[in-house]
Amino acid sequence: MPRYAMVIDQERCVGCQSCTVACKSEWDVPNGGARTKVRQTGTAGQFPKLTTSFYVSQCNHCDRPTCVPACPTGATYQEASGIVRVNRDLCIGCGSCVAACPYSARYINASLGKVDKCDFCASRLEKGLQPACVATCPGHAKIFGDLEDRSSDVFRMVYGESARRMESSTVAIGPNVYYAGKSEHAELALASFAPVPPRSIAAATVWSSLLNKVVYLAVGATFLGQAVAFFHQLSNGEKQFEE
Amino acid sequence: MASSTVEITPVPLTVEQSEAMAQRQIKKHHVAIVLLHWFNATTWLLELSTGAGLIVSPYYRFAPVWYLQMMEGIFGSRANMLRFHIAVGLSWIAVFLVYAIFGFRNFLRIEVLQHEIGLDMDDFSWLRVRTLRLLGKNQKPLPPQGAYNAGQKLFALAVYATVPAIMLTGLVMTFHWFGAAVVAWAMVLHFFAVGMVVSGLMIHIYMGAVFPEEKPAFYSMITGMVNELYAYRHHFKWWREVRLEEERWKQRLVDEEKKRAGALEKSNDDRPAMPESSNMGKEKL
Repeated sequence: MPRYAMVIDQERCVGCQSCTVACKSEWDVPNGGARTKVRQTGTAGQFPKLTTSFYVSQCNHCDRPTCVPACPTGATYQEASGIVRVNRDLCIGCGSCVAACPYSARYINASLGKVDKCDFCASRLEKGLQPACVATCPGHAKIFGDLEDRSSDVFRMVYGESARRMESSTVAIGPNVYYAGKSEHAELALASFAPVPPRSIAAATVWSSLLNKVVYLAVGATFLGQAVAFFHQLSNGEKQFEE
Repeated sequence: MASSTVEITPVPLTVEQSEAMAQRQIKKHHVAIVLLHWFNATTWLLELSTGAGLIVSPYYRFAPVWYLQMMEGIFGSRANMLRFHIAVGLSWIAVFLVYAIFGFRNFLRIEVLQHEIGLDMDDFSWLRVRTLRLLGKNQKPLPPQGAYNAGQKLFALAVYATVPAIMLTGLVMTFHWFGAAVVAWAMVLHFFAVGMVVSGLMIHIYMGAVFPEEKPAFYSMITGMVNELYAYRHHFKWWREVRLEEERWKQRLVDEEKKRAGALEKSNDDRPAMPESSNMGKEKL
């Protein structure tokens, strides 16, 4: 079983947005949504020796995804290969997973009314193709592969070199998109786009912490009530003719 | 017979009266209501069992994992189960829409609802006495009730309040109306409203199908009929309405007979008028 991962080399990325365009056309992403996007980080250093970088964000297919348990219907699930996918037949578009994602990798597709995000182009992988963004990247800044394959580029970059996960001291859920390049690039990206702790939408909070209990209590109470009456009936027996 | 002969409050019945009343069946439910009730019951069974299988998030789920797997196995996939849940739900809404349109005059006008499920003072004391009797603390007779007793009325009110919410939130989720925030709240409200109905359903099913004193009510949901003795003892105010209606009907028959007899007398002066007790059918022949 493969364990898919992606490495983004920030030294090679020139911020051309080719990956964004390739992804949008591959997946019919409507205006206002994005499965992946390239954002410029802040700057570091003193003029005239300033440094900046680009941060390519997309779904990280985390080892411990926070979006999966947040989904009420199980539309969001993780495959054995590590790819986190959305089953559109089950998604009702409640947005629980959008809030749960620390990387803002998800959006509600307005034309479908359902959530959408990167799935490492799973349907292309099945045909033996690379993800659209990887195939199109003119600077070869995106490298995709299998971490179980010791001869793969991603294995070398992740375990042999210093490609790092975009994790912070508060959010560490094992993202499988790694960032290579100078460490100051990763620091810049982390400074501008640090993962936000998973949030829970208001409706979900009210449901899990209040209404769940109210319903259990109400159903439990009436069940108990009729159970007592039923045992009373069983122990006393029924009369042929009621009085 | 004048209507004044129908008792205003229940009186002790003689053995003969009780026996005769136990044999006589009077109509309680319209056939459309009987059909709608069992359609509704089937829908609830299907929707509750699939709905419970659709909530799989560890944050909210209440069904055990084996149940979720079992339901998924029955339907092939959870996506199929959701399709089924939606299909049954939409036909449920469609049927109730037809009921609301064609049954409005008979069942849903505010005067009808007020008469059938509006609570009065008798109902409040019924609730108190019924509870005490169930707990074995009291054997006082129950206050007279209308076509539905106070418990049934309370359940009906809860259902009338929650069912439109269940339907509306279901539609919002099915068609992803009004954006993510509304869908999220619809999901929560859907669960809560169903939970409230299920809480009442516990009592409804026990009282309707299992509780010995209300057995005739259960069979009335199949045949549409209850025996008169049960109606007298459990729904006296409704029994009285039915009796008064019967008296009016009889009075009409008597009046018509008199009119016919009068007309006959005029045309056949030589023949004596038939005595009032004579059989109407024979006279017609």
